[in-house]
Amino acid sequence: MGKRKISALAGLNLQVNKGEFIAIMGPSGSGKTTLLNVLGCLDKPTSGKAILDNVDVTKLPEKKLCEIRRNKIGFIFQTFNLLPYLNAVENVELPMESTKKSNSERKKRARELLEMVGLSGREEHRPQRLSAGEQQRVAIARALANDPAIVLADEPTGNLDTKNKFEIVRLLGKLNIDQGTTIIMVTHDGQIATHAERILLLNDGKITKERQGILLTKKKLMCPYCGDKIQPSDERCPSCKKRL
Amino acid sequence: MGVLTRAIRNISRRKMRALLVIIALGFTMAIMISVPAGIVANQEATQNLSANYDRTVSQMEQQLTLIECTNSSSSTSSSSGGPFPGGGSFPGFGGFGGQTNYMNESIVDAISSISGVEAMAPIIEVPEGITTRTFASPYGGRTFTFNASSYTIVGVPLNSSLIDNYSILPTNITAGRNLQQGDTEVVVLSLNNTEYFGVGVGDKVNILGTNFEVVGVHGESDSSGYVMGRASDIGNLYMNITNAQTVTGHKGEISTLDVYAENNSATLVSTIASEISSMFPDLSVTTEQSQLQTIENLYNSTLATNESAISQTQTVAFQEIIISVLATCLIVLFVMLYTVRERTKEIGTLKAIGFSNWNVMNQFMLEGILLSLAAGIVGIGIGSMAAPTLSGLLLPHMSSFIGSTFGSSGRSFGAGGGRFVSHGAFGVGAATAVLSPELMLLALGGAIALGALGSLYPAWRASRTRPAEAMRYE
Repeated sequence: MGKRKISALAGLNLQVNKGEFIAIMGPSGSGKTTLLNVLGCLDKPTSGKAILDNVDVTKLPEKKLCEIRRNKIGFIFQTFNLLPYLNAVENVELPMESTKKSNSERKKRARELLEMVGLSGREEHRPQRLSAGEQQRVAIARALANDPAIVLADEPTGNLDTKNKFEIVRLLGKLNIDQGTTIIMVTHDGQIATHAERILLLNDGKITKERQGILLTKKKLMCPYCGDKIQPSDERCPSCKKRL
Repeated sequence: MGVLTRAIRNISRRKMRALLVIIALGFTMAIMISVPAGIVANQEATQNLSANYDRTVSQMEQQLTLIECTNSSSSTSSSSGGPFPGGGSFPGFGGFGGQTNYMNESIVDAISSISGVEAMAPIIEVPEGITTRTFASPYGGRTFTFNASSYTIVGVPLNSSLIDNYSILPTNITAGRNLQQGDTEVVVLSLNNTEYFGVGVGDKVNILGTNFEVVGVHGESDSSGYVMGRASDIGNLYMNITNAQTVTGHKGEISTLDVYAENNSATLVSTIASEISSMFPDLSVTTEQSQLQTIENLYNSTLATNESAISQTQTVAFQEIIISVLATCLIVLFVMLYTVRERTKEIGTLKAIGFSNWNVMNQFMLEGILLSLAAGIVGIGIGSMAAPTLSGLLLPHMSSFIGSTFGSSGRSFGAGGGRFVSHGAFGVGAATAVLSPELMLLALGGAIALGALGSLYPAWRASRTRPAEAMRYE
């Protein structure tokens, strides 16, 4: 930045397997957003590679990167970044505009996604008429519009209240379990990060620690709190009644 | 949801800004199209001038045996507001600026004795219903104030040999019939007269206390009243000369004596004219032949002046159009640059969700084009209403009236459909700057092209925005 070179990422090595839910934690300035931008083909590293499906995306031209962003990656932002002049359905339809889907197919898919995230009946509302939690749900639906293999979430709960935070992260967890979508979530909130499968700690551009989150246990169909058996569709543990 | 709908919604997000931009662009577009409209009007006017000249000369050539005698000792002091020295009359209004003096009809017998005179038509023309009028020039809205009559009583001798052989009656009878030998207490009105009196063929009309029957209507209505270069009968109503002398209180008097030579030999006509002048020095004697020469000289001079003015006008017009084009492009450029900067984060989001550089560029170019197209429509609206004023303000003026060699009697003209134009009032025909359909289509096409040109750079800038940086923009 300016005349002084600052390394946002330094010697970082990260492997993400298909279907994983990764949470990346770290203090401000640790390189979390930069990592996400590189993973999302929004930025190129000064050195090194970023390999997606056996393809080094750092060597691809902008046109190819744009196709990857459209078809393989979904973005969720902290400030939602919905277009204020479009309603919920139109915002969700946006990534599908350059695909071969017809108008009616796009609308149908958009409505299905909004229903999936719990926003039936709010399709015609513009972002100004939705709460923060609802806007983030629309953003999630938008990120899933083209059925991406990976969803990158940059502080998806950063602008939400406590109740909505957990609802959103649970929704992401549900998506990961039900649809097998790979999710990489950046957060500074430890409680939110716990809901992932793997939690990586990023410091000064490097991954310094790794631990498991409760989602791994849920995937093994065990309650992460009491260890009893659970079903994939359970919202609460039948034994300890804690919210899953 | 397509790019067009998004573009329209984006423009309408900032309604006041969009409105101000469209109005500003609209004015530059209005100037861009009013100027060519003014040029076309100038060219049409010059064509009218030539057409009017040809028509008038053609009419005058039928009357080369005519020698016109009027009383030259008319007062000019009562001219009020008219733009012509000696008062004179305003074509189409039958107006008057000076005071008409009448002659005793006994001169008819005296002149009949001159060798070579074949026939004579004594005529009386009396303007009535005098009011003050204002005339607006089609160029730049200049106004002239003058006294004009509402109608002119023209008394002609209803002699079959005169009627059959000479053009002493109006042509172009549009209803009823023309006057004929033996008619008395009947009248042929002009279309304007029928509106003024509120009567038609078969009705009775009261003229200065006497009732006349309307037997016919002549001529075409000219609402502007400004007709250049052709005989104008707009205000004239025709009756038997005896009736005219009685109702106007001019018994035994005439205002004009038309003398017809046996043939159109220049020598004979000139000789007769000279003899009349020497017999009656107070008379103003003009021959159609000399008038023809005067008009030809005037026409050539006017044409040269107008052609020079048109050439100068085109140079000025070209410069003004270039300035308008530049202004339009710059307005669009700056507005779109500001818009792109304002929506940097949105551009980053669009790219993050898979929009290509081309999609982004498309979006912003379309917005620029739509703004410009709306401005083009507004510009056409403004131009339709204000093209004459705008072109009048922006283009050098063409001279509307060139000289005036009205006879000093100040007589109004137009007695008889075949009579010649008022002497010397040759100028540009009244061609108003209007927007033709072709010009409007050109304006719309131009608006689209200029919108595309002005928004090209901002749209390219938007497409080159780096998404990672754009997302951090506040």
